Parts: sequence; C-alpha cells; structure tokens
Amino acid sequence: MKRTKQLLGAVSSVALIAFSTAPAYAAGTQAGQPITNEVFVDYQVGGFDQTQVSDTDTITVDRKIDLTVAETGNIGRTQVSPNQTQAVIEFEVTNLSNDVADFVLTATPAAGNDFTLTNIIIFVDADADGEYDVGEEVTYLDELAADGVQQVLVAADIPVTATAGQTADIVLTAQAAEGGTIGVEGDIYDATNTSDDTEANTEDGTVNAANVDTVLADGAGDDDAVEDGAFSDTDGYVVAAADVSVSKASTIISDPVNGTSNPKPIPGAVVEYCIAVTNGPGAALATAVNVADTLPVDLEIDDVFGVFIDGTVDGTGDCNADGTDNANSNFVDNALGTPDEVSGTLSDLPASTTRTLYFRATIN
Amino acid sequence: MKKGRIFGIFAALAALVSAPAMAQNGQSVALNGDVMVVKTINEDGAEPRTELVEPDLVVPGDRLLFRTNYENTSAELVENFVVTNPLSSAVQLAPDTSGDQVVSVDGGKNFGALSALTVTEESGTVRSALASDVTHLRWTLASLEPGESGQITFYAIVR
Repeated sequence: MKRTKQLLGAVSSVALIAFSTAPAYAAGTQAGQPITNEVFVDYQVGGFDQTQVSDTDTITVDRKIDLTVAETGNIGRTQVSPNQTQAVIEFEVTNLSNDVADFVLTATPAAGNDFTLTNIIIFVDADADGEYDVGEEVTYLDELAADGVQQVLVAADIPVTATAGQTADIVLTAQAAEGGTIGVEGDIYDATNTSDDTEANTEDGTVNAANVDTVLADGAGDDDAVEDGAFSDTDGYVVAAADVSVSKASTIISDPVNGTSNPKPIPGAVVEYCIAVTNGPGAALATAVNVADTLPVDLEIDDVFGVFIDGTVDGTGDCNADGTDNANSNFVDNALGTPDEVSGTLSDLPASTTRTLYFRATIN
Repeated sequence: MKKGRIFGIFAALAALVSAPAMAQNGQSVALNGDVMVVKTINEDGAEPRTELVEPDLVVPGDRLLFRTNYENTSAELVENFVVTNPLSSAVQLAPDTSGDQVVSVDGGKNFGALSALTVTEESGTVRSALASDVTHLRWTLASLEPGESGQITFYAIVR
C-alpha cells in the first residue's frame, strides 16, 4: 500500500492523466489503481474571488485473490463403461481476483472411491473436441485475467474390473499464483507465503506506485480452506450397465370360423407375437440387441407377413404396427414337427426406451 | 471521469499560474484530506461494530470514509466557501448517502441534490440518478469566520 500526500501541482496532474482511466471490473478495481481523495475549494474574501485551493490524498487498491472451481458440463457423475479410457469430466476455473493470476492445477482421486482411476490427466481442450489430445495437458493456467473463466477438463481411465453402479470421484484444486510473466508459473499465493510475492510490502512507507499488498479472500471449496488462495470442486464417474428386460405377448388376429371378430385359438387361427425389449432408466446404451425366438412346434411362421423390428408399444405394452419389415431378420421355416425360429437385431437402445420385434404365425 | 480529469488539469494549471498571488495573499484557507477504511468488527456475543483504520489494506468492496478538514487560517471573513470533490473512478458513492447531498452525475457540469438529478441512458430513457452515477460532490458554506474550522466527510465503496 502506498500512501502519498501532496498539494496538487504539475506532477500530480500528470498522475491524474495516467491513472484516471480505471475500468470497473466485476471482480473489482484493478490492483494497483489509486484512489484519490481530491478536493478543490473556491471562496471569496471581501467579495473577491480568491485562488482555488486544493488537496489530495492517494491510497492504492490492493490485490484481492479470489477464485472458484466449479463442475460444469454434465452435472453429477459422468456415466462410463468398465475399461473406458480417457473418460472426460469438465470444470471451470474463474478468477475473481482484481488482478491477473496463474492457477496451479491438481487433480486428486477423492477418498472412498469404489475403484482406482488411473492415468489422470488435466488438460485444456485447445481444439474443443471434448477429448484429450496429446499436447493439451497443463499443470497450471497461465495469466488468467481478472474475471477470466477457463474450462479445464480431466481425463481418467476406468479399470476393467469396475462394475455397474460403482463410482469414483476426482477433486480438482486450483491454487492462485503470481501472474505477470507469460509462460512462467508464478510463486503461489498462500497464507504463509505472501512474503514470497515480490510486489507485496510491509507498509514500508516508500512512495512506490507498485506497492500492492495481497489479500486472500477466497472461500472454502470441497477440499481446501477459506482464505488459502485455493479452491476445489469434485466431479466423478459412475459405471453404468445396460438394464435390458424383455416381454412377450401374443394376440389372436383371426380364425377360420369367426374371421377377425372375437377370434379363437383354433387350428388355422393367426397369432401375432410381440416381443418388447426395454432398457431401464439411467442405464448405458444397449447395443447389438439380438432377439431370438423359437416357436411352439404346432405354430407355423407366417412368412408372407414377415418379421418387423424397432416398433413401439402402446400404453398396455402391446406392439404398435409401426415396425420396419426387416430384410435382415431371419426366420427358419422348418418342416412340420420341427419348431420354426425367428431372430432379429434391434437398433441401439438408449436408457428408458423400448423397441419391439413382431411377427405372425398360424396354429396348425 | 473524463470531465473530472480535465477539471483537474485546469485546476493544476490555475494553481501553478497563480502561485505567486497565493503567496502574497497568504492563502486564507487550509485543507487537509485523507481516506480511512471502515472496518466492521464482528465479535462473539456482541453487535457488529465499525472502526476506522488506516488504509493499509484496501480491496474491492471495502467501505471508505473520505475526510477533508478545512480551516480559515486568515484574519478575514471567507465567503461563498465551495468545496468540490471529484470522486475517484475506483470508488462509487455509498448507496446510503443522503438524497440531499449536492452532487454532479455528469462530470461536474451540473450540480444538484442527488434525489433531484436524472441520468439519460444510451437508449434515451431518463431515470433517477443513483449514488453509483455520482462523479463529483459539492458542499457550500455561506461564510467561514477567521479561525473557524470543520470537516466534511462522505462514504464510498471501492469498485
């Protein structure tokens, strides 16, 4: 902190020109800016104007170190699969200080993880593809301006032994450090180490415009204390698995006696089979879902109708007639006495969705 | 603060040009200004109280007390004593300032009670002036007896 006091004169008017352009940052006035108590007095004696009198007193704005680290992107744990490599979680580091600063980054597995994360990498996604690429890794954020926000991504490998529902978290900590030199990681600002800040002073009384003290004003994050120049937040991974269930229903479409009016399961009747495959809520994408069904021996596949896939179900779970006649689906129309067989591969099944496979057969 | 800066330069030049005259006149008025930090102290079991401390540590959000002591050091009656205080761009006038305070919100061009002034937005909308719009403060004393002294103060928040 500098504190000067002088009568307004030629020198101080130069200072006014130099310093009176401070923009107001949301993080506050830039450290090092002067605050001047400047006063002018006009008065009269005996009815005559007298020379204006003035006085100034100047103090300097100090450096307030404040920052946050926050999980962004997918809020909550990110779904991963066992053996997935470089699974990415996303954070944001915000410089709330009134000065440029470096931020030293560390990513640490949280206590109590269900499995061990390996190959943890902190990176800044230079090409914005959401994935780690060689050369994107960082150990600190260089020269983040006051009010600056920087996205920081963390990638980690999931062990093949991880099982559905298991979780593992990572704590990302950003520690503020001295800025001012591009490409150089500055000395960290912490409670015991502000003397390491070469610009800090102990109110030495020198008239030096660069006399700026450092005050730590940050809050406590997930794994750091208040006013320690650091902030941290937690994000993590949860191992998801597909949760596929199948139901099968049949509907009699027609019989030779009643037609389609209240048909009965008598020889010659046509039966539609509906196989619905559902992936549960929150489950991983189910891929390569293959449905295979062997018909009762006394049913004969309706090979004119064909086999439909990827249809939907109505409110009661019955198949809607909106499937695709799938040329890739197979049915094997065996000789009498040998069961016919149906199979088909459904499209990939996201969580909370149902796809169907349906076909028709005749009762012998 | 552009206007304030011009005003400051003008004042500086005026002071330089007329310095000999001041010496002859023996400068009837003495001024002495400073800035203090208003620190709120919270102690267990006690109401929060404020204390004025030296501005050793000043960061954005701090509440400051600007003080100016004045004195008529001459043997003559001083009249139309007008104190003008351009507000530093790094601070804004405290929102709890009285609406009766005479201020300028246009760089010192026009002065009036804060509650009576308006600001025209870029969109053309006219609204009441806020403490954060203030660029200058002004106090006027009709007269100052020989030897009479006093203090003017205002609060401001570091932007």
